[in-house]
Amino acid sequence: MIQRIILMITLILALPMAAPVAAHQQKITLSSVSHNARTGLLEVVHRVPLHDAEHALEAQGVRAPDIVNDLKSRRAVAKYVADRFSLTHNGQPVPLTLLGTEIEGGRLIVYQEAASPGSGAQLSINSQILTDVFERQENRVNLGAGTKVATLVFSSGDRARIARLP
Amino acid sequence: MRLIAFLLAFVLAVPAYAQGIQQTKGNFEDKFRQLDEVLADPNVYRNASGAPGHQYWQQQADYKITADLDEDNRRLTAKATITYKNNSPDTLPWIWMQLDQNIFKKDSMNELTNTFGGPGRRGPAVSAGNGSEPAKLSLAELRRQQRMEDVSHGYDITRVSLTNGRALSHTIVGTLMRIDLTTPLRPGQSVSFNVDWAYNIVEENVVFARSGYEHFPDDAREGGNDIFLFAQWFPRLVAYSDYEGWHNKEFLGRGEFTLEFGNYDVTMNVPNDHIVSSTGVLSNPTSVLTATQRQRLARARNADAPVFIVTPEEALANESSNPNGTKTWRYTAQNVRDFAWATSRKFAWDAQGHKQPGAKNETVMAMSFYPKEGGELWSKYSTAAVVHTMKVYSRFSFDYPYPTAQSVNGPVGGMEYPMITFNGPRTTLNDDGSRTYSLSEKVFLVGVVIHEIGHIYFPMTVNSDERQWTWMDEGINSFLDSVAGYEWDPNMPWTRSLPRDLIPYMTSTNQVPIMTQSDSVLNLGPNAYGKPSAAYHILRDTVIGRERFDFALREYARRWKFKRPTPTDFFRTMEEASGTDLDWFWRGWFYTTDHVDISLDTIHRLRLDTKNPDIDLARRRQTLADEPEKVGVRLNREQGLPIWVLENPGVTDFYDDNDQFVTTPKDTESYEDFLEGLEDWERKVFDRAVAEDKNYYVLNFSNKGGLVMPIILGLTFVDGTTDRMYIPAEIWRRNSRNVSKLLVFEKGKELASVEVDPNWETADADISNNHYPRKIIDSRVEAFKRGPATSRTGRDLMAEVTVVEEEDDDEGSE
Repeated sequence: MIQRIILMITLILALPMAAPVAAHQQKITLSSVSHNARTGLLEVVHRVPLHDAEHALEAQGVRAPDIVNDLKSRRAVAKYVADRFSLTHNGQPVPLTLLGTEIEGGRLIVYQEAASPGSGAQLSINSQILTDVFERQENRVNLGAGTKVATLVFSSGDRARIARLP
Repeated sequence: MRLIAFLLAFVLAVPAYAQGIQQTKGNFEDKFRQLDEVLADPNVYRNASGAPGHQYWQQQADYKITADLDEDNRRLTAKATITYKNNSPDTLPWIWMQLDQNIFKKDSMNELTNTFGGPGRRGPAVSAGNGSEPAKLSLAELRRQQRMEDVSHGYDITRVSLTNGRALSHTIVGTLMRIDLTTPLRPGQSVSFNVDWAYNIVEENVVFARSGYEHFPDDAREGGNDIFLFAQWFPRLVAYSDYEGWHNKEFLGRGEFTLEFGNYDVTMNVPNDHIVSSTGVLSNPTSVLTATQRQRLARARNADAPVFIVTPEEALANESSNPNGTKTWRYTAQNVRDFAWATSRKFAWDAQGHKQPGAKNETVMAMSFYPKEGGELWSKYSTAAVVHTMKVYSRFSFDYPYPTAQSVNGPVGGMEYPMITFNGPRTTLNDDGSRTYSLSEKVFLVGVVIHEIGHIYFPMTVNSDERQWTWMDEGINSFLDSVAGYEWDPNMPWTRSLPRDLIPYMTSTNQVPIMTQSDSVLNLGPNAYGKPSAAYHILRDTVIGRERFDFALREYARRWKFKRPTPTDFFRTMEEASGTDLDWFWRGWFYTTDHVDISLDTIHRLRLDTKNPDIDLARRRQTLADEPEKVGVRLNREQGLPIWVLENPGVTDFYDDNDQFVTTPKDTESYEDFLEGLEDWERKVFDRAVAEDKNYYVLNFSNKGGLVMPIILGLTFVDGTTDRMYIPAEIWRRNSRNVSKLLVFEKGKELASVEVDPNWETADADISNNHYPRKIIDSRVEAFKRGPATSRTGRDLMAEVTVVEEEDDDEGSE
């Protein structure tokens, strides 16, 4: 239901890229959230296509971003990704530490961790990475590691969803 | 029959009777069941080996078109004479045409079914509201809505008539139009008819399309300039095939096209300062090109590097020119399934001849057209990438089948048509007036040019049906573009589509199978591009082997060149030409959303019983001696409790000198009886086995991911040597959940450890269960924190990120 229509003024700069069928404009991110029983840490790994990420920066007004060669661009994306991904437990945001990034193939990998609320915890999750840039953006969040995962799929404007941490 | 006893027997799971793939009683699943009832029946048009049948046919549609561009009003007016030849055995009372521009009508099915804030929508950002968040529209979405309100899009069809002038009744159904023929078109007959139409060209950046114009308001010329890209710009014959009849499926934007081959003769009237790039060959160069341009073109034919036909400086000067009339460009193209073109006064143009000795087109003109915004990124890499693509792709398929191959920069990110592709990457203008580009932008340019030029092979020549099956051309093309990418520069950060890259997608729960109609696919990128590409990498490098895979793929390309293959034809050809039953592979990878996870659960070591009491009893004695001391006995000793036998050393008998493993005459006698009871051949086998005393291991595997795959083993022996073993996927054919495998090694060759899929070839999702004995596997985060990884580039650690955050806070930005 549409309650009210407002202009997203911050999006004035966020004119989406016209790339209707480019194979290389993937408009998908994959994040995984898992409890590491050995370390007692909650581990979050985001995989963001490099070229998509550069457009996220352009949308924020960054001129000529270069994630591979320019550390400042990369860190800006890491911050952006961290900001667009929310994780709460018992109504409190989980304080995720941004560990850093690395480049793997055409993707930027962003690492985060926090003290784990433990296996079985009910987490409220929302991944809005790049949904402010690409309308077709679809973000997958896999809960759990290895072969048994539960997947949440988020698109633009979705609200947070509750899921059990395996 | 005698069975030599092993110390440990393993139980074979007895499969239930498998009549179907799944059954209600029991839980047997036949992952190797042939695709009999899934694939289309072979017939005279498509045979059982996946080749065109002996009565294969396809329709032909030839077009003679004249188009007038009204640049100021951004309107195209055109008329065509279309000749349609019915090669089918059917009599056709009507024909169907595609009116793709009608997707931009306000009441099109695509507009009406666009979900607000839903997945897969094309266009600007919006977000649906919910309890706590208001719904949002971006200004870009509002602009699109306003444009759709202000400008009437879609075709105005002004005439449909026979060439003798007699009007033909026609019915428009969304993006389709049925033309009723005055007399049914019988097999072998042709019909020629005229269609006149016009439409307002969409602004690509505003409306979102595969074509349209892009406006450059900041150019020096008053009113700025435009680049026009024309695709889906004329009424096109709907495909009529032996397996689907008329392919009259509404155009919803994502399911692209399937079309008929035909010959084109197209005349474009454009402002006389424009440069036109088009499908086909320019047939009137003397009337549109200067003598200098023609000389440069001739030189480019035999050049080793791109030669400018229109230099960037000339293009820049042209940007501020004003036309004083129109010029008529005429392009002709033979045996193409579509026709697209581009025109602008902004274009620089470079060209280089690509040589294919012995081919039908021995010299292919690789050409690029781009505005100053493309800059050095384009002059250095676009035409070079076009040439590179032809070199690599032709090895995997056939000689490039057309006389030209073009890359045009415009507003479209990446789109393919016969002989011409639209590619979006550009340089960025800096404050000092210079133009630069990031490494990702460069990878995007080289990658997208390879990909889109690759599409001229698949599906422009191997004419698969994109409206139904995006994966058919995108899968092969993504596979080949990664092959071509590695041959360009293996160290560039390509967007990869190797098996290991697909694991997070393949393990996720919310997916659809590859075999899903294009418009209904979720996550088109990993589904139709990445996953099939990963599947072909596995088939090539792991399951079939390079030589036979390449042979089979070439055979598929060769068989279906200028013809219309279906998924069934592809599956059958790959099996038939490689000599490999792949039904299990197609079933698992293309028809399900299962993933790969094979676990090595346990390894049991076995030893042959020699029956010789002197040997076996001694071994058993050693086994007992190797057991740890009983805890109670140790505690007694530590406590200093007295032991009766030690305190009564004088009281002894036979059993004090001989333990339970001493050989008795009875033991010897039964051993001799055993040997005597053996047949001669049994004795031979037995003696040899005892003498060799090999090492026997039973490995127990379970399939946790669902997909059956080959089991690849990395074996490490106690002596430090290693070996690789490949067990074909067929090991799972009787039990797809648990299998055991006996491995036998020479005496002295003892296994130390085993790893499943040591080279990450199969997309195995959970490597923590791949090792025996189990190893602690670092999680991604742990591995990242531990230090520089060997094969990865560019790590950036926390401390540095934190520094940036502080800097940003200091600057008070945002």
